[in-house]
Amino acid sequence: MHFSDLGVIAIVLALGFAVYTIIVAVLGALRGIPALVASARRGVLVVAALLILASFALVASFLVHDFGVRYVAEQSSLSMPWYYTAAAFYGGQEGSLLYWALMLSVFSSIFVFTSRRAPAVLVPYVLATLMGIEVFFLFMLATVSSPFVRVPNPPADGVGLNPLLMDPGMLVHPPMLLMGYMSFSVPFAIAVAAMLSGRLDNEWLRTIRRWMLASWTIQSTGLLLGAWWAYHVLGWGGYWSWDPVENAALLPWFTATAFLHSSMVQERRGMLKVWNLCLVMATFALSIFGTFEVRSGIISSVHSFAYSDIGGYFFAFLVIVIVFSTVLFVFRLPKLHPEQEFDSVVSREGIFLFNNLLLVGIAFATLWGTIFPLISAALSKQTMSVGAPFYDHVDGPLFALLILAMGVGPLLAWRRTSMHALWRNIGVPAFVAAICAAILPLAGVRDIWANVGFAVCAFTAGAILYEIWRGMRVRHKHGEPYAVAFYQLIQRYRQRYGGYIVHLGLVCLAVGIIGSQFFQTQDNAVLNVGQSMSVLGYQFTYLGNVDAVNPGTETITAQLQVWRDGQLLGYLYPGRTYYQNFDNQPASIIPIPTFGLTDVYIILYNWQGATSATIHIFVNPLTPLVWYGGALMVFGGIVCWWPDRRRKPVTRINQRVGIGQREGDHKRSPVEQEATI
Amino acid sequence: MKRWRPLFLALVVVAILAAIWSYVMITTPPQKTLDQKVQDVASQLKCPVCQDESVADSPSLIAQQMRTVIRQKLQSGQSEQQVISYFVSRYGQQILWSPPWQGFSMLAYLIPFGLFTGGCVLLFFILRDWSASGRSADASLSNSKAEDHETDMDDEADLAVLRQQLEEELAADDPIFAPHYTQKQQMEAG
Repeated sequence: MHFSDLGVIAIVLALGFAVYTIIVAVLGALRGIPALVASARRGVLVVAALLILASFALVASFLVHDFGVRYVAEQSSLSMPWYYTAAAFYGGQEGSLLYWALMLSVFSSIFVFTSRRAPAVLVPYVLATLMGIEVFFLFMLATVSSPFVRVPNPPADGVGLNPLLMDPGMLVHPPMLLMGYMSFSVPFAIAVAAMLSGRLDNEWLRTIRRWMLASWTIQSTGLLLGAWWAYHVLGWGGYWSWDPVENAALLPWFTATAFLHSSMVQERRGMLKVWNLCLVMATFALSIFGTFEVRSGIISSVHSFAYSDIGGYFFAFLVIVIVFSTVLFVFRLPKLHPEQEFDSVVSREGIFLFNNLLLVGIAFATLWGTIFPLISAALSKQTMSVGAPFYDHVDGPLFALLILAMGVGPLLAWRRTSMHALWRNIGVPAFVAAICAAILPLAGVRDIWANVGFAVCAFTAGAILYEIWRGMRVRHKHGEPYAVAFYQLIQRYRQRYGGYIVHLGLVCLAVGIIGSQFFQTQDNAVLNVGQSMSVLGYQFTYLGNVDAVNPGTETITAQLQVWRDGQLLGYLYPGRTYYQNFDNQPASIIPIPTFGLTDVYIILYNWQGATSATIHIFVNPLTPLVWYGGALMVFGGIVCWWPDRRRKPVTRINQRVGIGQREGDHKRSPVEQEATI
Repeated sequence: MKRWRPLFLALVVVAILAAIWSYVMITTPPQKTLDQKVQDVASQLKCPVCQDESVADSPSLIAQQMRTVIRQKLQSGQSEQQVISYFVSRYGQQILWSPPWQGFSMLAYLIPFGLFTGGCVLLFFILRDWSASGRSADASLSNSKAEDHETDMDDEADLAVLRQQLEEELAADDPIFAPHYTQKQQMEAG
């Protein structure tokens, strides 16, 4: 008996239990039998337990180097350190499917445990939908894509992981991103449940928002880790290349972000229900599309190691998802009236709608660019590539508008804003932006578009900081020191100020992107021992190569000193590692020291013997801000999501300002109070 | 007149900014160095042997050679566009790293742009429609423009009264609003 046999048994059993759960949950909901729903809850937990067992079996097969299992032989080798061997679990297609199924069942279990908060009518339908998705994955795992297939003659050693994957990034990025993709299925299930049961009220909205917020945070983290990994491994000096697979991961992120904003309009004003459902369904469909695109290999990408023949199944699943949710949606459409009318274009609802248009527009443009080579090949028989310049030109201006809208949004009130109030609120941030736009060109920033970008960022940062400052000032007047006031503000109005933190993070990230986009400087040179090259004020002196041979790998490292203004800043060791089984795919070792807000990025291109090397150097100003801003965004997402012990109802602002219903109102910040009316 | 003051202020600021920018642009016209030109051309070409990398970014041998060719051609006085067309004539359209602005591939740009513009127009009409129906419910179907305006003013006055009531009640409820409220009162009085 091998571990792999245990895995096969666990997966088949899990498939059985998942099907059982669907039947029992639907029956329980239709007939109104609580015992059946309770059984469905337990069914979900059993599926999770079985998948944990199957995953354990796969990891164990890796760790004992059971090369009789084909997947283990393909993904690992004896010379790999144990942590990469364990991480090879999700290194290939079969394992990543298992990981996806595992995470889905774990999230379903978390839903079961927290479902006391969710409206009870919804729970059985949510469980049935989640298990419906799970059945698809378990079916794939049990039939066409099993990680536990054994071969008759096991090899003595495995092939090993692709060298690009042998990096600490491998331990965090794929699991996070796959988890992000997968986690969009919970909001989708909640949306489907709402349509099936006809219950689509504020309680439903709170549940789905919380889950969407969690998914958003996970997906943001996954995307950031991916960008960070690409920056440290791929060696072209950047972190985002608009690769089709990267785009596919970004698409559901955009629609999820759009949902998080437009659902606020639904929460406050009872409008946009139809639109919100569309966004939730689109998010899930796009995450399946992403997986389909990666697996099918219909579009060439750096993620080519994930190609396989199961694209067709994913396509079928995608079609089922779209058809199913569309039919359900059309069927439910008559029930989804807006509760209130719109008041004014110049209102927070108005800007949220504009924000939605921008986000969906960016998502569409990105999707369009990603699939355009296919369309072009099919319709005009022209091979076409759509690379970074396209996205820079099409998405860039939309991003700038988005950031501008982000600054204007908090300045507008719900329902309507008088022009007078708008002018008063917009004054300070506009002043900050004007100062920035006046100083930067004089300080030597020549590029017009970079200037526009910086001014927009300054405006939005100014608006957000001013808003926070106003809140702090009000509290400070009541005897709270500023630091305490700041903490209390965030603590008491987490959704609002967490959102501001996310926005500040995004502004910071945008400044980093503008910096690396417009001011990256690069140079390469062939250096002999003792020779120097200098880029943007940094001087690099080459000292020679070192060749280190280890079992399975060979590493060549160049030694360099980095100087600035006659001062030695440190030693750098860019290198290349060659893996025995992947001779043509050397992995780069790229030192990226950060001096202030500037990254220095050094690659060893080539070398001759021990005394000559081709060195390529990028100087990336402001790029560290991308990571700081990203971390801030994730932090803000967690602040928004963090459970609130005190459950406070959000008061709807009704047609005529609701004086009668301000029980919840006085808990909100004075600033918001002011803006609300 | 007072109503337009912010607008004048904004215009003045824009004028000052425009002056500064044009001054900077005139005194030091943006002159691209040869390195920047090479970089610009190379980043518009796709490395023929790589997966999804531009000639500017790729470390491959052929990309290095192509960068050398670009540099030589630019040094010999050719324009950036000429260098790009040279590579297109040698490798065909697929050497371009983004769809060219001609023929079928213009659709790549036109469709997102068209849809976005369409979306903006649609959004505008939806909003107008909604706010119109909201207002007509309020104003019980007033037809003439003058009346519309009047009811708007009514609304504003109504809102101001309601807002004051609300603030008073809040101030009575929660001391945190009191100074805010009184400060506002002073402001309005003055």
